[in-house]
Amino acid sequence: MSSPLAVEVRALSKTYEVHERPPGLAAALRSVFRRKYKTIHAVSDLSFTVEPGERVGFLGPNGAGKTTTLKMLAGLLHPTAGEARIAGYVPRRREAAFLKSITLVMGQKQQLLWDLPPADTFTMNRAIYEVSDADFAETLGELTELLDLGAIMKKPTRQLSLGERMKCELAAALLHRPQLLFLDEPTIGLDVAMQLTVREFIRQYNERRGATVLLTSHYMDDVASLCPRVVVIDQGRLRYDGDLPSLVRSIQPDKRVALRFSGSADREAVARAGTIVDFDAAHAVIQIPRVDLREAVGHLLGLSFVADLTIEDPPLEEVMRELFSASKPAEADADAGTQADSA
Amino acid sequence: MSARADLRRVVRAYPTLLRVGLAEAVAYRAEMLVWMLTTTMPLVSLALWSAVAETAPVGRFTQRGFAAYFLATLLVRQLTGSWLVWELNQEIRSGTLSRRLLRPIHPLITYSAQNLAAIPLRFAMTLPAAVVWLVVLEPGAFPRSPLALGAGLLAILGAWLINFFTMALIGSIAFYLESSTAIFDLWMVAFMLLSGYLVPLELFPAALRGVIHALPFRYVIAFPVEIFTGTLRGEAIVGELGIQWAYVLGAGAAAILAFRSGVKRFSAFGG
Amino acid sequence: MLRYLRLLALGLRISVTVGMQYRWNFVIDGVVSILWTGLGLIPLTIAFHARPAIHGWTFATALVVVGWFSLLKGILDGAINPSLLTVVDQIRQGTLDFVLLKPADAQFLVSTARFEPWKALDGLAAIGIFVWAFRLLGRAPGALDVLGSLALLACATLVLYSIWILVIAAAFWVVRLDNLAYLFSSVFDFARWPVSVFRGVLAIVFTFVIPLGIMTTYPAEALLGTLSLRTALLSTVGALGFALISRAVWSRAIGRYTSASS
Repeated sequence: MSSPLAVEVRALSKTYEVHERPPGLAAALRSVFRRKYKTIHAVSDLSFTVEPGERVGFLGPNGAGKTTTLKMLAGLLHPTAGEARIAGYVPRRREAAFLKSITLVMGQKQQLLWDLPPADTFTMNRAIYEVSDADFAETLGELTELLDLGAIMKKPTRQLSLGERMKCELAAALLHRPQLLFLDEPTIGLDVAMQLTVREFIRQYNERRGATVLLTSHYMDDVASLCPRVVVIDQGRLRYDGDLPSLVRSIQPDKRVALRFSGSADREAVARAGTIVDFDAAHAVIQIPRVDLREAVGHLLGLSFVADLTIEDPPLEEVMRELFSASKPAEADADAGTQADSA
Repeated sequence: MSARADLRRVVRAYPTLLRVGLAEAVAYRAEMLVWMLTTTMPLVSLALWSAVAETAPVGRFTQRGFAAYFLATLLVRQLTGSWLVWELNQEIRSGTLSRRLLRPIHPLITYSAQNLAAIPLRFAMTLPAAVVWLVVLEPGAFPRSPLALGAGLLAILGAWLINFFTMALIGSIAFYLESSTAIFDLWMVAFMLLSGYLVPLELFPAALRGVIHALPFRYVIAFPVEIFTGTLRGEAIVGELGIQWAYVLGAGAAAILAFRSGVKRFSAFGG
Repeated sequence: MLRYLRLLALGLRISVTVGMQYRWNFVIDGVVSILWTGLGLIPLTIAFHARPAIHGWTFATALVVVGWFSLLKGILDGAINPSLLTVVDQIRQGTLDFVLLKPADAQFLVSTARFEPWKALDGLAAIGIFVWAFRLLGRAPGALDVLGSLALLACATLVLYSIWILVIAAAFWVVRLDNLAYLFSSVFDFARWPVSVFRGVLAIVFTFVIPLGIMTTYPAEALLGTLSLRTALLSTVGALGFALISRAVWSRAIGRYTSASS
């Protein structure tokens, strides 16, 4: 085989049991002696592949199985069934060579030493990953420049702002030049400017080093601007795998037209062009099927009170909500996903 | 809001808090087991001192005397335990304390309910020891008069309150220092030795006894134990009850003040 | 191997840097260890008051056991406890994931994460007690005995560390560990007494389950020159056994961590 795939996932499943803690004293007393367990199917029969150098976004509602999948790919969780391979390695074996080729950044958790400046964490990671002096100096210089770390690297971590801390987290995670980046909500809690910085940095790193990026995020903008390809997971199952625009088109085949009025608008006349989403004295938003767009825009521009008109896609958040609300949990789901051969 | 309305709300909510606290205590099976083992330490002391008293009594204590003493210690420790320091340290550090602060009841009250709710369970586990002690070892020593019994119970309540309030006080230091468990270790060192937990205080050199009577530790273990083993009688009990409850009030006031100023700081820094 | 030594040195350096930031700990720790050592002698003096020997131990020889106890407590609080207690925090916060993703032995990494350099004070207290004990005995320990007792100190440290690893492994099942740690330190406190004082069930528990004998009594006997070669060998074997068991349990705990919940 020539260069292996960056990620290869076949029929991956993860189930685990949780102890149900029923409310009430009597039930609590009973559970001292007999516990009830419930099986959770976190991931069911997931298959996909990722080429080296790709940037892939994982989308899905809370509890969809995104983080579980990421952790299985990193070797932190063992799959119940199915198989995952990362650049030819089996993650669960946690071989040193594999661990040196990946990294994990979690927006809600930090690896920086709390009482010391990030520079000390960098030194620590340098020793653990056995990075040579020359490589360390070069990589650190590069990261310092890209992330503007100069001043913050020398301050104790506990005195840094959330944004500064995330920059240092990224630097600490990338010092060993991993070829595969697992980013779990890397921009969570950051302000818009910092989100942009982080996003831009990830793109640059990907382009410069040819590293593969797997990203989960609650912010659709992160995914939309960073990832040419998205994988949608819902209730542990693969729902979609492809580029974002076609996903949007398949779920929401309509376009939105925003109107600005001058003078009093005629609601009736506007409604003839499409479905009204929003309407007031000065503005309106209407939804129009893609195929009818040309005709409708012509009609709208012919109306004397329309001063301005813009065509846009429906907001991504709304598209996602629609996608996930369409998949109401099917009861039978809970039994599926365990047929695959056990690993 | 008037203080009376506050009080009424607390009184109304307390039974529910206790019930939830008990359910919580029951939910952690492994914790229960560990705690059970921890509180059997007086039994190890018992074995140790029995060996020492094998050939001749130590002071007034024969082997049987030691047995009665340490079984009573086991019971008192069980009934008056508190672990608020760890809870406070953890909740302050992780910021989960803010959830408690949002409730319209003082956090120390919810903590106290959690604490008290676990006690019946622990008592049930030590009941066998109590029975052995009462029936076999010292049938004559157990206080018979309702007055002495009442004083004993009051002493146990006082011991629990001193424990609870000092733990709240030391726990509140965690608002200022990252962690106050190091300071708690200091208290623990003193407690183990000066409360009568490891060695009956009577056996201490006479020179130290005056100091020990003035320190709070004695009133957490030795004082109730001595009432129940019949070493302490009559007026002596009344006098020491006075000292004990003075400590309860002092520790209570200090704990509430420390907690209040700590919370102010906690809110200012946003956890 | 060399790499792990380097990592160890780095861990120590970082701990000293952090220690410098919290200098008040130095004061508190100093006071605690002096208080603890001093007060800890009271029960001993009471027990030996007006009786020359208990199960073959005199005040002076029992004092040697107390010295080993102080030393071992310093090792426990300074080198073993701090690291392993951070693991518990890491499990709770989920940051243990970062450690598990590092290309180095996870048990090594968590065991060397933190040291409390100030606890070395306990070692000084121990030396003070040894000096006092041998002055009471009116002789100095033999050079060979000192060597033997140092070898047994290594065993004692290994046992102590292994037991702590077992305690920490329990944290993978039970998330709240305070109670367990408290239980262990309560039991460990009895290591200040010669283990042969205990009879019956407790003698078995303290010899095999929680081997307080290996921890303090045997090193003390070695220093006094009264330890039989057989006991010395057995305690070495025992210490290695404990290390193997704890390593196995630790691997299982990690395995469970990675195969269980999210």
